[in-house]
Amino acid sequence: MADPQLKEKVEELIAGNPVLLFMKGTPEMPRCGFSMRVVQVLDQMDVEYGAVDVLPALQPLREVTAEIADWQTFPQLYVNGELLGGADIVEEMLASGELAEALGVEQPATPPPREGTPPPLQIE
Amino acid sequence: MPDLAELKSMIEAALPDAEVAVEDEDGSGQHLRATVKAPQFDGLSRIDQHRLVRAAVKERFEDGTIHALSIRTEAPG
Repeated sequence: MADPQLKEKVEELIAGNPVLLFMKGTPEMPRCGFSMRVVQVLDQMDVEYGAVDVLPALQPLREVTAEIADWQTFPQLYVNGELLGGADIVEEMLASGELAEALGVEQPATPPPREGTPPPLQIE
Repeated sequence: MPDLAELKSMIEAALPDAEVAVEDEDGSGQHLRATVKAPQFDGLSRIDQHRLVRAAVKERFEDGTIHALSIRTEAPG
């Protein structure tokens, strides 16, 4: 059974942030590859989002999201109060254009190159 | 090591008439991927489609046999 106070706090956060990401680490320093993938997708979209680092309270937050959204793994992206999904769903929805539609933004034309990424190696 | 054939049959049992493939992406047992095409997905959001697949293999998450499962879902037609 989830901690009622934490559950209330999470519900307030979800209600108060149209786009909210529960992730391991922070957008600046993701601590898990799946969380990083969702941050990379959101960074391509012209949208502001809130981010909550779940690591300080991982197990209590799992119990809360299991009750709220029947989902226990992170990352979790909520849009307008509804759980959209984790990394797999968010990437599929980016590719199909459904994510831009859900967020109410333009579909990004092509993924912009990530800053600081070295050019691909070439083998002759 | 997770039993891929068992996972496949658990998903098939939960979703009759589904086309199911379960792969171990790098042979480590750590990166599993299930690809599921099921008539039950028709009209459902992606998250609900994924919930159905996860629910089918819930026991294997709970007993620690699998830790992560990438899911790709598709409604037929």
